[in-house]
Amino acid sequence: MGEGETFRGEGILAVTKALLQSGVAYVGGYQGAPVSHLLDVMVQAREYMDELGVHVEACTNEASAAAMLGASIAYPMRGAVTWKSIVGTNVASDALSYLSTAGVMGGALIIAGEDYGEGASVALERTHAIALKSSMWLLDPRPNLPSIVRMVEKGFELSEATHSPVILELRIRACHVRGEFRASDNRAPAISTRRLLEDPAAFDYDRLSHPPATFRQEKLKAEVRLPAARRFVAAHRLNECFEGELANVGVIVQGGLYNNLLRALQGLGLASPFGATRVPILCLNVTYPLVPEEILAFCRSRSAVIVVEEGQPEFIEQDVATILRRGGAHARLHGKDLLQLAGEYTVEVLVRGLVRFLREHAPRVEIGAAEQWFSSVESVRKKASAILGGMLPPRPPGFCVGCPERPVFAALKLASREAGRPHISTDIGCHSFATFEPFSMGNSILGYGMSLASSAAVSPVMARRPLAIMGDGGFWHNGLLSGIASRLLNRGDGVLVIMKNGYASATGTQDLLSSPKNADRSIEGTLAGMGVGWIRTVDNYGVGEVAKTLKEAMTTDYRGLKVIIAEGECMLEQQRRLRPQVAEKLKEGKRHVRVRYGVDEDTCTGDHSCIRLSGCPALTIKDSPDPLRRDPVATVIEGCVGCGLCGENAHAATLCPSFYRAEVIQNPSLWDKAWNVLRQAVLPL
Amino acid sequence: MNLPDRALSVLVAALGGEGGGVMADWLMDAATQCDFPAQATSIPGVAQRTGATTYYLEIFPAKRSTLGGREPVMSLTPSPGNVDVMVASELIEAARAMQNGYVSPERTLLIASTHRVYATTEKMQMGDGRFDSARALEAAQQLAKRAILGDLRELAQKSGTVINAVLFGAIAGSGALPLPREACEAAIRKTGKGAQASLKGFAAGFDLATSGVGAEMQEKPSPPTAQDIIDLGVARLRDYQGKAYAQLYLERLKSLRADPRLLAEVARHLAVWMSYEDVIRVADLKTRASRFARVRREAGASKGEPVIVIDFLKPGIEEFASILPHALGARLLAWAGRRGTLDSYNVEMHIKTSSVPGYLLMRSLAWLKPWRPYSHRYREEQRRIERWLGAVAEAAPRSAALALEIAECARLLKGYGETRRRGLASFLAIFDALVDNPPTADAAELAAAIRKAREAALADPEGEKLKQSLGKPVVWLSKAS
Repeated sequence: MGEGETFRGEGILAVTKALLQSGVAYVGGYQGAPVSHLLDVMVQAREYMDELGVHVEACTNEASAAAMLGASIAYPMRGAVTWKSIVGTNVASDALSYLSTAGVMGGALIIAGEDYGEGASVALERTHAIALKSSMWLLDPRPNLPSIVRMVEKGFELSEATHSPVILELRIRACHVRGEFRASDNRAPAISTRRLLEDPAAFDYDRLSHPPATFRQEKLKAEVRLPAARRFVAAHRLNECFEGELANVGVIVQGGLYNNLLRALQGLGLASPFGATRVPILCLNVTYPLVPEEILAFCRSRSAVIVVEEGQPEFIEQDVATILRRGGAHARLHGKDLLQLAGEYTVEVLVRGLVRFLREHAPRVEIGAAEQWFSSVESVRKKASAILGGMLPPRPPGFCVGCPERPVFAALKLASREAGRPHISTDIGCHSFATFEPFSMGNSILGYGMSLASSAAVSPVMARRPLAIMGDGGFWHNGLLSGIASRLLNRGDGVLVIMKNGYASATGTQDLLSSPKNADRSIEGTLAGMGVGWIRTVDNYGVGEVAKTLKEAMTTDYRGLKVIIAEGECMLEQQRRLRPQVAEKLKEGKRHVRVRYGVDEDTCTGDHSCIRLSGCPALTIKDSPDPLRRDPVATVIEGCVGCGLCGENAHAATLCPSFYRAEVIQNPSLWDKAWNVLRQAVLPL
Repeated sequence: MNLPDRALSVLVAALGGEGGGVMADWLMDAATQCDFPAQATSIPGVAQRTGATTYYLEIFPAKRSTLGGREPVMSLTPSPGNVDVMVASELIEAARAMQNGYVSPERTLLIASTHRVYATTEKMQMGDGRFDSARALEAAQQLAKRAILGDLRELAQKSGTVINAVLFGAIAGSGALPLPREACEAAIRKTGKGAQASLKGFAAGFDLATSGVGAEMQEKPSPPTAQDIIDLGVARLRDYQGKAYAQLYLERLKSLRADPRLLAEVARHLAVWMSYEDVIRVADLKTRASRFARVRREAGASKGEPVIVIDFLKPGIEEFASILPHALGARLLAWAGRRGTLDSYNVEMHIKTSSVPGYLLMRSLAWLKPWRPYSHRYREEQRRIERWLGAVAEAAPRSAALALEIAECARLLKGYGETRRRGLASFLAIFDALVDNPPTADAAELAAAIRKAREAALADPEGEKLKQSLGKPVVWLSKAS
């Protein structure tokens, strides 16, 4: 897509396009919502990237992605990496400390998907803290595509002008916001896989983050790079000031919250749909560093300002307070004293805070509409609760229909009945859905690939052997070293279950080192090579066998690390592959056996013990067709992929005789038809 | 010219895998065709895996060409009271939106499908943990400015498509957004794959919205009378064991004729209990023509497609003992119970019931029917039935409510194998602690205690809650059985 054309799509894809427009030379990262798409698209478009000369790397974790930016230290190459934050930034922070200390020559941009607020799936912390400690500049653009794209482009320039890495922070909704912007041409990078460097950079100790250079670099950060960043931000007007007639008050807002702020003001009758506002606004598209002159200029003539800043602690507010105090400005400063301390700043939250602010500092402004709004919202909610009469059933995410990880937890539930309930340290990945009903398992989650490591001090003090669960994604991300190597080094005991579904499934089935297409590399081989003496590989759908193996691992006299590799391909990926094949087969008139499971409604007594062992979305309940029974009976609905877990569970747990497997022979052969006629003649089919 | 003073907002509550994202794309595309500024965003995250998820859109209802280069600033989060169109792909998700205040009587059009996709916490209870749909429907009628309700999933299935197309049609048909039908249909056509089916679903949704038909509030059939239930019971037991057995059923009900409500409840439970599911019964039910027809239907087999049916059975000592003569069966069970090996000798069987040998194997078990009255299980069940009936009959003159609560305890007896043993243990624990040794002389108090204990046992089959409720442990395989 070239100059002048209109790009329509999601925020995160706009970032991808903006990177190419900026002449990026290399892109890396680790997948995770809400930024998975950025990397996935680049990986899928590898051919085009090759044409441009852009190197794309799907890194094994965020630390390796951050370290990639090292290319920009000594060469004038623009590079971008992406990950989910705060978790990814945490993993990357060692490399980031060194990168920002050494300083960069080519623009280095980190696209951080700020997973905060509704829909977040990680610990709720701010990327801001890491930007502060490592002197990396933090961009937080207004959540519309033109602003986001501009800040990507300016981000590279800022990075180059100040020799510092820059973080572009995008919240979940901003990553997924659909809008449009006017595109420009992609730029092929000057140094690239097509235009190679002849020689490595000359030896220069000052580019190494190693003492004694680090002492000088520390000074550079404070005395050269920080002032340069402030100059750049001011000169390029990256922050935006929107004047308004209520001149004695003002709002300082993070760029990413600008739209919600505007909507809140509109609700109070203080702004137009097009952004004209009666309350002056300073919109910070750069939230670190602040430019003291800008803050003072905005605040000096006002009697009060409020900082609208999501998450805690309130770094920006503290920064503003210091600037005002040092600059001798007398405006009263508000922020977290009037707005809620933690949690997402939705429009409702903002309105509540603004009302308190305006009531104190602009008492003559008419905000009666807000009062009316609050009370009507309150009464609607009350009325709804009264009619609904109680808690609605929660609907957390869960295992997909046919997921190969579900049977392992069914087996674990059965094994626990016999061997006793173990302490379970769980991990990040699809398997963490087992923390929800009907399994409700897990005693701790400490991060991606950390489960085994997090049970290191539990194992020695627990009479019953604890269990750690990890996905193959977590294994390659971190678990191999943090967990397994450490346990082996200490000759520790324990059981580790590795869910080998073949992909990093929770983030969108990205490939791993042990994915089917990399069949020559196996987790088993890796473990054996490291010296794990007890390894069992089980087929997940054989619930009875899995339960037996789990029980054996939990009770065996063997001392040392025991690893169970629970194998079953991610059903999403399997179906994606098989569905077109089956459709093709049927179209060609070839014989195909479609498998589906079912429950006999007249032998089902409605005790739902099968559901307590499965939780499959396709195994649900319906009104009992028997007028004499009131409780609903179990039923298998459309969407069943025929994974066989129902039947396996019925056997392994000796549940009930109601499950059946139906094999529908599509495009039957003559032989099938003949047999069928014969059977029909004898049996009441 | 006068410009609108605000954007129109649409909040979509959907479940993962229902195509909410595609629908947001369609809406955006239709708005773009009309030259309206529009914005959409979402919180998919991990919710794509069957969890609840939301999409939020704003459409500014004025052509961009009339805005003089100005661009409206649109919100990324919905706010309560400010949603113009609330779309819910499932009834409880509609209820959730209402509970959060997104459906306002002054402003909001609610479009919701009335079908249920049960949450795990609803499905996993031993009894009936389903949320009462009638409440959600009532809330929708009362809270929305206007409500378009209907089983949109069914419309989608009939059209051979996904629910998103039907929802999109209903949005377009409602007229709440300034998006003409042609623009919406053009948006669907652009998606190419499956467009024809989507268009059909769209039309179904559109018609539902324009015809103004509300939710087909299903008329609740009037509850069956005691006589209806008794008739059903008699038919069931005749089928189960013959005329004499059905006569026994009627005999047993004789003493309870005074109170029709109690009679109805006891008649219901007694019929189910007397037709307990032993191997003979299961084999019988699994070899009926009606069953094979049902399997074909559920499996969605077309005409001419042979269907092979494989049953998962795992009979063990209990099943074997249940059809032995009483003395032998009792001894075998006692022996296995002592050794803790009740479940140790189960045989996993995959029986191809649709094949001649498989069918004959099953049918031969069903042919044991005449033997049943001499079996161990028969004797045990009749003994417990008498005990239960005795307690009900004894309580009836004292307090109808108490008798009813005791009768309802039969609800705990269900399932097979270990599940049945647990239910039975709960049943016996309640009988021992509350019925046979009442802790209070007050009938109302006692009825309440029984109800509480029973509900605890149903909500948590592992027995923890019941233990708390009774203040003592529930012993599975209680000797008192």
